[in-house]
Order: sequence, then C-alpha cells, then structure tokens
Amino acid sequence: MFTKKKLLRFALVAALFLAVDAGIFSSLSGEFSKLMEASQTKEIRLFAQTAPVKAELLGDWMASVQTVLPGCEALYLSVDDAGKFVVGPGSGGLKALYQQNLSLPEFVKALDSVYYLEPYTTTGPYSVEVSGAAPLSGRVSFAPIADDTGAGVRGALVILSASTVAADFQGLLWGLALIALLLFLVIYSVVSFARDRVMGFAIVGLFAVVGVFVAYPMFESVRLTFWKGGQWTLETWATVLSPRYLVALWGSVQLGLWTATISTLLGFAFAFLVERTSVGGKKFISNLATLPVISPPFSLTLSIILLFGNNGLITKGLLGLHGFSIYGLNGLVIVQTISMFPIAFMTLSSVLKAIDSTVEDAALDLRATRWYTFRTITLPLAMPGILSAWLLVFTNSLADFANPLLLSGSYRVLSTEAYMAVTGQNDLGGGAALSILLLLPTLTAFMAQRYWVSRRSFVTVTGKPSMRLTELASPAVRVALTIFVGLCIVLIIALYATIVAGCFVRNWGIDYTFTLDNFGEALTRGWRAITDTVTLAALATPIAGVLAMIASLVVVRKVFVGKRLLEALIMTPFAIPGTLLGISYILAFNKPPLILVGTAAIIVINYIVRELPVGLENGSASLRQIDPAIEEAAQDLGADTPTVFRTIVLPLIRPAFISTMSYTFVRSMTAVSAIIFLISANWYHLTVQIYNFSELLRFGWASVLATALIVIVFVAFGLMRLLVPDEGHTDKSFAR
Amino acid sequence: MPKTSVSVTLVGVTKRFKNTKGRDDVIAVSGSDFTVAPGELVTLLGPSGCGKTTTLRMIAGFELPTTGKILIGTEDVSQLPPNARDKATVFQSYGLFPHMNVFDNVAYGLRLRKVPAAEIQTKVEATLKLVGLQDLADRSPGRLSGGQQQRVALARSLIVEPAVLLLDEPLSNLDALLREQMRVEIRRIQKTLGITAIYVTHDRVEAMSLSDRIIVMKDGVIQQIGTPSDIYENPATTFVAGFVGKVAFFPVTVTAVAGGWDCQLGGKNLRVTQGAAGVPAAGSAVLMSRPESLRLLSPGQGSVEGTVRMNVYLGHSVETFVDTPFGEVMVQVDDPASKAAFAEGSAVSIGFEPERVRLLP
Repeated sequence: MFTKKKLLRFALVAALFLAVDAGIFSSLSGEFSKLMEASQTKEIRLFAQTAPVKAELLGDWMASVQTVLPGCEALYLSVDDAGKFVVGPGSGGLKALYQQNLSLPEFVKALDSVYYLEPYTTTGPYSVEVSGAAPLSGRVSFAPIADDTGAGVRGALVILSASTVAADFQGLLWGLALIALLLFLVIYSVVSFARDRVMGFAIVGLFAVVGVFVAYPMFESVRLTFWKGGQWTLETWATVLSPRYLVALWGSVQLGLWTATISTLLGFAFAFLVERTSVGGKKFISNLATLPVISPPFSLTLSIILLFGNNGLITKGLLGLHGFSIYGLNGLVIVQTISMFPIAFMTLSSVLKAIDSTVEDAALDLRATRWYTFRTITLPLAMPGILSAWLLVFTNSLADFANPLLLSGSYRVLSTEAYMAVTGQNDLGGGAALSILLLLPTLTAFMAQRYWVSRRSFVTVTGKPSMRLTELASPAVRVALTIFVGLCIVLIIALYATIVAGCFVRNWGIDYTFTLDNFGEALTRGWRAITDTVTLAALATPIAGVLAMIASLVVVRKVFVGKRLLEALIMTPFAIPGTLLGISYILAFNKPPLILVGTAAIIVINYIVRELPVGLENGSASLRQIDPAIEEAAQDLGADTPTVFRTIVLPLIRPAFISTMSYTFVRSMTAVSAIIFLISANWYHLTVQIYNFSELLRFGWASVLATALIVIVFVAFGLMRLLVPDEGHTDKSFAR
Repeated sequence: MPKTSVSVTLVGVTKRFKNTKGRDDVIAVSGSDFTVAPGELVTLLGPSGCGKTTTLRMIAGFELPTTGKILIGTEDVSQLPPNARDKATVFQSYGLFPHMNVFDNVAYGLRLRKVPAAEIQTKVEATLKLVGLQDLADRSPGRLSGGQQQRVALARSLIVEPAVLLLDEPLSNLDALLREQMRVEIRRIQKTLGITAIYVTHDRVEAMSLSDRIIVMKDGVIQQIGTPSDIYENPATTFVAGFVGKVAFFPVTVTAVAGGWDCQLGGKNLRVTQGAAGVPAAGSAVLMSRPESLRLLSPGQGSVEGTVRMNVYLGHSVETFVDTPFGEVMVQVDDPASKAAFAEGSAVSIGFEPERVRLLP
C-alpha cells in the first residue's frame, strides 16, 4: 500500500525513467531528422540537376516537383547577366516568402553559397502568411543548377519542405515514447503498490484488453462519423439522416416490431405448452425449439429460399406460382421469427416455471374460471418476462445481418445498408454512422427494460418451482396448442431437412436429379474456409474461456477503482450490433500503432471480445454461488493467486468455464456480422463462403457447407461435453 | 507439532472502511493494542459489528490495517499477503474445498509446500486421527455432518504447523450439544500442541470456557483484557459486566473514604471496597452485583426492598424476579431445596455481600 517511502521511491524511479525515455526519444528523433535532411538534400540536389535549359519547359518541370518531392513548395531562380538571382516560375507563397526575407543575412549567405554551386539549407524555419490558405512554414533549401560547363551557375531551385512524412514519423516516435512511459508507469506502480501483484496485473491486463479492443475502436468509429477529409464535419450525419437512410431505419424498426411480436407469441405458446400443461415429449419439444439458436446463419434463409424462393420447391414446383416473391419484409419476418423465437421461448419458460402454481390454485379455489385465472393471475405475473422476451428479440432482430443480407430484396434495413456503404461505396464513416444509428432503438429498448420492466418484476427468483401444477388449459385448448406447436416443429424439421436435401440435388428448382457432385465442388472450393474457420474458432475458444473466468474472479471478488467501468467495457460488445464492431475494427486497426487488418489476430480478437460478456455473466453467476471462504482458506494455507485460481476457482466454476468455451466456439463458427468486414485473402470464413455461394445461386454448394457447419457445431458441442464431463459439484457451498 | 510457539502483537491497529456511498467512513477497529503470549489461547469477544472478526482478518492478512502494526513473533506482517504469513485460519463457514475429498482437503497445504507424497500420507493420517476422522478420509465434504466438517477444517489448518491458529467463530454453525463437545476438543488440541491461538466469538460461555484470556470489544474499541474470572468478577465497565454474564445494576451516589466508598442507595448507606478505575471520589456511580451473589431476605433486613414478581425454577437454582424501585432485579438462589422460598407477590428484601459487589463508573 501507499507509504511515504514507497511514493518517494516511485516518484524517483518514474522521474529517472522519464529522463531516459526522453533522452532516447530526442536522440532517435535527432538522428532521424538528420537522416531525413540528408536524404532530402540529396533528392533536391539530384532534382535540380534535371532542370531543363529551355525557359519554356521550366513551367512543366516545376509542376513535376510535386511528384518527386511531395508536399514541397518549389521556386525557380534564374541568374541574370549581372549574376543576380531573379525570381522565376514556382509557388506563389514561396515567392512571397523569398522576397520578404531576401535581405536577411542568412538568405544572402544562402544565395552566395548557391552561386558557388554549394547547396544550402536554412537552420531555422521561415514562414509567410498566404491569403486564403494556411500559412507556409518550414526550412528553406537552396539547390544550385549548374550551367553546361558545370563550373558556373545558371539558376537555383528553392524548396520549402513541409516534411509531412517526417512529422508523421516524429508523431509515431512520440507516441511510442509515450506508450513506453505509460507502460512503465503502470507496471511499476502495480509492482510497488499492489499487494497482490498477480491480481494487479490481471486487472491492468483486462483494462488493456478492453481499452484497446473495445473502447479504442468504438471511439475511432464515432470520431470518424464526424471527420471527413481532415476536418470536423457533420456531413456524414447529414447523409445518414437523409430520407434515403431513414427509410432503412424505419425498415429495421418495422421488421423488429413484427418479428418481436410474433416470436413472443410463438415463444409463449411453446413455453406454456412445455411448462404449464401435461403434454408428453416436453424434452423433445424444448430441444427442437432451441435448435435454431445454435444453427448457423444463412442456413434457415437458405432453406426458405429453396422452398419459397423464385425457383422454390413449394412456390414453383408444387404451386406453380410465378409472381410470388419471398424476398422482402414477409420473408424476413418468417425467417427471423423461426431463428429468434427460441430466445423468447427460453426466457418465457423460465418465467413460467418460476410462477408458483399455488397462486393459480388460490384463484381457482375462489371459484375463478380457468380462463379468468389465466387472464388475471398468470398473464400479469408473466408480463415482465413477456416484455423482456419481446425486447430481447427486438434488439436481436435489429442487429440481425445475415438474414437480411440474403433475403431483403428491395426491402432496406440498416445493418445491410451499413455493409453496403462500407463494401460498395468504401464509405467507412457512413457505415459506422449507420451502425450507430442502429444502436438507437437498441439502446431505447435496453433503457426501457432497465427502468420499466425491472421495476415491475413480480416473480421472485427465490421460490422453488412448485412440485405439482394445476392445468389451466382446458383439454380443447391443449389439443389446439399441441397441434399448433406440432406444426411449427414440423416446419423447423422440414427446413433443416431441406438444407440436407439441397446437398443432393443437381440444380434446385430446375433439375432435381440426385447427385453427389455438390460435395466435391463445395468441399474443394470451401475447404480453405472450413479449415480457417475451425482454426480461428479453436484458437479463440480457450483464450475467451480463461479470460472470461479471470474477469469473473476479478469482478466478483476484488474491489478496485474503476470496476464498474471495466465491467461496462467488457459488456459493451454484447449490446452493440456486430456490424458496428466489425466496422470499428477496420477503422481502428488499419493504421499505426496497431495494424491488424488482414491478420488472423483481428478475427480471433473479435471472437474473444464478442463472447467475453456471456463468459463473464456465466462465470460471475457461478462464482457468486461459491463461499469466498473457500478461496480464502486456500490462500490462508499458502496458495498464491495463480494457484488459488488453478486449484480452487477453476475446478469449482468448471461448468461455467465449459459452457463459455463451447458457446464461444459455436458462436465463432457461426459469426457473420462483424467477421464479414474482417476476413481477408489470408483468412476466410465459412459463413461468408456460404453467403457467396448463395449469391452465385449455387444453392447445392451452399447447402453442403451449411450442413458441414451444422455437423461441426454439433460435434464440437458433443465433444466438449464428453471430454470434460460436468460433475456438478458447484452447488456445494457449505453451511450458511 | 508446532515448531515453537510465538507471540502475536498488535500495536495501535486501526481499520477504517471507506464508505463509497458518500456516507461517513466506518471505523471497524480503533487503536487496538494487545499481545498474545506464546501458547496462549485468547478470545476476542463482543457483539456483532464490534470489530472482532475484522481484527482477526487483519492478523490473517485478508484485510490491511489502516494504521498500526501487526507482529507475528518478531516479524512485522502488517503489509504481507495472507499466503506469506505463518498462521492458519479456521473459517466460520469452514471453506472446505467441495471438489476434493477429506484427505485432499487436509493435504492441500502440504502439497503447496511440496512435501513428499509418503510424508503427506503419514501426516494426514496422524492429523485426521488427532481430530477423530481417520475413517472418513475418502469422503467428500458434502457428505459430512457439520461437526465433521468442522474437524476437517481444523485438521487442514493444523497440519501446516502454523505458528498461530486463528479461529473465526468456528462453532457458530453447530448445534448446542456439538458445540460443547467441539469446544472441549479444540481446547484439548490447542493445549496438546501448545499452539498460540486467537479465537473470535460472540458467545460468552464459549469464551469463558476456552480462553486463557479474553479481550472484550465494543464498537471497534477494546473494553477490557483479562482472564475469564477477572472479566466476570472485576469488569471494567457496565458493558463488560452485562456482556459476560447476568448482572444487577443500582444507581448510587458515592463518597470516597479510606479503603473504599460510601454509597447512598435509596436512603441506605453501604460500604463498598471494590471499584473499577474511573469511579469518582464523589458523585454518581453504578453498583453491580451478580445474581448469585444477591441474597433474598425478609423485608427490612436487606438493602433494597421489593416484591417478588415471578419465580423461575431451573433445578439447580431458582431465578427470582423482584420488582424494586430501581427496576426489576433477578436474584439467583442456588440449591433452592435447602432455602426458604418467597412466594410470588410477597414482600422481600435484597441483601448484598459486601465483598461481592463492585462499583462501576
């Protein structure tokens, strides 16, 4: 902790380091300027020798200065018969500067020197005001132009070098020196002031990770929406808020409203059937209902296109429809509902499970009818849960990128507009602004959830689910509900079956002959994508798992300044749309000091950062269940922090650790929205390959890859469970 | 088992908890000074929130003192992390490792110290035998009773041969009977090993029966340090008197005389020889007596007149509640069969034994 002695020592060492750092920086910078100067002088000299003899060619020659010496102002001086220098063609600003300073001793000296064929560069900078432009400033170089004999002078080249390159490099050098100082200060302060250094470094490390890979890219993307052509402007926002994009915003919101409402209704029907009735096969129903959550993107869209598209099996093959189009709002609502109603289902079944059946019994006991009981008791109790399920689906629908990409047709939504802005128009700022715009309804929904839903929550989590339940549905209602849910399940199975069927068909919609060719083609063309994706996801999985558990330990067990900030930063990628994260990554990491675009690292880091929030939630929920005295006991017996983590914490929160890892793997394998911006010629992604095949109308190939992805995901899930069996001893925290 | 017993010394230890919500800081422990002698068992006794557990956690290293020094032996450990201090803690909730069996739990500390496997085997067996758990080495802690879990926790701490054993309300999760057994057990083991021990409890009976010395705390401040009998018989304040046993208080006016005080109690005069520091030479004070030192006498014969309100029969004694001008006073009549009983509602007089009463400020 802080003592005077330690503070004094810290200050001394910090000052010493500052001195060394500054010393190294200035000597490096000095060396570099000398080098730059020497090379520039040489360049100017060489260029001066190319001066044409004919006066009429001088103008063109002067104009070519910009290509040889970019960013420089140039002026030609000719020598008149009297041996005096006369201003020739060249930059007006420099002309003014030259004339203004002509009588200064240094200029006289310079001209003298040039006269004797010696180049000269002023020691200090000179500047001149230029009307209607930025003032010119810089050191002035004089290069002689020799005549035919090589012994006399026939002119001189005056160059004012703004030396932007040098300034850039100096800036970088400065940055590095600053980073070195900062790094040293942080590390040294942890070493001298933290009692638990390992924890200190863990906290600093986490801050560094989220600072560099969450806060910095976010900042860069916001900054770029206000920055164009080197200055602050609202131009980007003016474009984004024009009717053209507001249509897309409304499109996103409209899609969200429809999807959220239908998904919630569907989810409630499923949840009610599973949790509140005595129907059989509940396990089967809930397994199938949650299937779309882990299924890869594009797969459901793909099968919808195969069934209902322009050449769809049902639309064209069975019904012979021609004018029908699945592309647009209707198709999107269908696909999004199928892929997102499981979210509503899972939320609502835990809510319905938590409602104590005895309150319904009490209503029935007071002679309420079943319908009346449902309406006045069950529904109001489930309302907060219904609302949060709705909001969850709503935000997911807005952020959805994969489905609209294939299926939106002429319908416009923000997430794909952002992608088009980046890839089509190379307008990164616009893309970022559009994604930020997408954050608006999401944030509103989050706020609404926080301030309204949570306040109206009736269901306490403490109650054990009641052992028995009274059926509120009458037999007729139950049968109707069962048939409805059954139909939905048949649809889900049919959709998956369609993808598998698609693998074996020569040309869907036109030629339904059986073939195995698709496998060969798709796997040859897509093999790189498969191996790349598996490699990257496998790399990210353990890192995300361990990092999430460390973060959980830090957040749950440690008290430190900025804990809330750290938590918020870790959770941020959960709330922001993937498109925004992807765009901000290319904005932030395609320039110094961190150039990562095109590498595997940027993809792996993106996976990790995106899955960290869920891992943190898993880990901290699990850790909160564990008596802190268990860790204290280990520490008490002499274990240091890493040992406690390895021998006590990790084994105890193993289920959370495993589920975080399998979740990360699956989500990384199936990622699209952020990844589509980050893939490169070096590292490709399976989902993007599926998209490309679909765009090329190679539905057979796309089906093969989608099936392969589904198989990989399932194998990974099974393997993870098999390799590390869940022993379930986490709930044994003792004696409270 | 322990190498050599060492002392524990606290010098001016204060712990201030920063209050983040803009309220005042909480001073959990204020200027604690005490020394625990080698091989001694000292209890920190006080009501909840008095700072006793904070004091223990500072000695263990889980909290850092805001000011002051903590020495184990001669080493200043004030700023050392918990894993660098030569002590072992038995936690209130035991903190057993649920993913390890009893043997592995007890062996944990030895494995950290890289003790050879064969030696671990013999040592764990010996320690489990010491706490009477030799047959349960393969059990998972979840399948042990509360008392057994407690013994595992104790064994796990003892096996690393700490210089100091710290016990944080180790018996508070056990039922009354088991608590009494374990109390004896802990005392036996501590004496056998001759280990220095600091024990935190809010149970005065536990403190009395276990300790060589007791430190009574209130609101972060040490009220009194002394042997159990000293604390019981010669409390320094009304708080200590009331906390360590049943007591009757009477407001009196005192005048100092040679060898004691003259007390005015409801018009009667009383000579008292014992008094705590801080009793004024002249002015008001509090007269205390333990219920077992009071006598029930016929009306007019004692010092305080009253009426019997209720008799509670306890077998070895009767607790008689008497309404007096100074409030309700409980008198404990030991061996009631041999004494005359006063019926409920009858007038009675309470008499003092002059050498068993004490003045408190």
